[in-house]
Amino acid sequence: MNGIHDCGGRHGYGPIDIDREQPIFHADWERRMFGMFILAFGGGHFNIDQFRSTIEQMRPAEYLESTYYEHWLHALETLCVENGTLTRKELDDRLAALSKGTH
Amino acid sequence: MPTLFPTDALDGLIRTGGSCRVNVNVEPGFAPGDKVMAININPRTHTRLPTYVRGKRGIVMRDHGAFIFPDTNAQLKGEKPQHVYSVMFEAGELWGDAEFPGDKVLIDMFEDYLRPTNGK
Amino acid sequence: MSADHDHEHHDEYRPSEISLRVKAIESLLVEKKLLDPVAVDKLVDAYENKIGPHNGARVVAKAWADPEYKKRLLGDGTKAIQELGYSGIQGEDMVVVENTHDVHNMVVCTLCSCYPWPTLGLPPNWYKAPPYRSRAVIDPRGVLKEFGVELPKEVEVRVWDSNAELRYLVLPERPAGAEGLSEDELANLVTRDSMIGVGLPKTPN
Repeated sequence: MNGIHDCGGRHGYGPIDIDREQPIFHADWERRMFGMFILAFGGGHFNIDQFRSTIEQMRPAEYLESTYYEHWLHALETLCVENGTLTRKELDDRLAALSKGTH
Repeated sequence: MPTLFPTDALDGLIRTGGSCRVNVNVEPGFAPGDKVMAININPRTHTRLPTYVRGKRGIVMRDHGAFIFPDTNAQLKGEKPQHVYSVMFEAGELWGDAEFPGDKVLIDMFEDYLRPTNGK
Repeated sequence: MSADHDHEHHDEYRPSEISLRVKAIESLLVEKKLLDPVAVDKLVDAYENKIGPHNGARVVAKAWADPEYKKRLLGDGTKAIQELGYSGIQGEDMVVVENTHDVHNMVVCTLCSCYPWPTLGLPPNWYKAPPYRSRAVIDPRGVLKEFGVELPKEVEVRVWDSNAELRYLVLPERPAGAEGLSEDELANLVTRDSMIGVGLPKTPN
């Protein structure tokens, strides 16, 4: 699709943020997200093309405003719901419980 | 079918990965040296043909062999294995008035993304 | 602002929401017996502590020291890299491209972030973000300048867009004065950025 991800040759994204001290993972949630993606892929939850395609369908502003592993989270949530592995309600309920500290 | 990936298979997975190469006999339609043009398609579904190369002319540099075709695989419509080629495009061809028109961009093109051209 | 730049800013406003969403999906998948959290730990350890550009540096060093290996590396990157024990996820099909006096190679994935993990580890944030991805193909020399590299105009710049499943590794030119160094010493000259093509290797003292 002619999505926001297809950015070769586009202007306006500004200078490259080289950041020489970058750690491989900026936060623990990034570590968990990385591992989960590999295992879900290895476990046959989706193929790599489905995964990329799902990220490409993010709302353009959301794609640009969110960080790299947030894209992966979006794709994993979406594909698990599409597969019937999880429901949106289960995800929302669990998030609510974790936010309240009741889980 | 979503399953639990077994932890004791993890070392093997890291070491082997999951190649998308398909070892079937698919006749290549192109060969190194062929002059080609990237087709102008604009699917609403997944493709790995970047917008910036559509309709542009290049030269086949290398045949990498046959791979799973992402455009169909993303929709679970089959692997449709086909050859992938390194195709070289000149900066001038891609961008028009390029400051360094002789610089090159090389892109991996699935066979379905190419058509032959007699052009320059 | 790039998503990269926004990263720290975002976390100040909602430091927990993303981490809670990740906890939510992980806990659900574990409960449904579709994920083993110990496997997540093992993967993190592998890619945070073990797999990294020191692997690719050994490949480059061997190519610099051994002309026969270099020939094999350029002919069949996957097989030659496997000789040194590097293979696997996001490196199943490797192509090695050589910098010479006349040609400088640079690698990008304009569509997402494809990168050769077994030889370089996980990609840096800048590689995965739109500023690099958009400009590498249209203004590679401008990008190189930002990385502190300026090439003479006689050198041809070749940008490789990894849009399929081939993964690209740049074989930098061996620096002058490196003849006679051991492979270990050569490997110390090879930087990650030089294997992506946005930098040059270090020169021996």
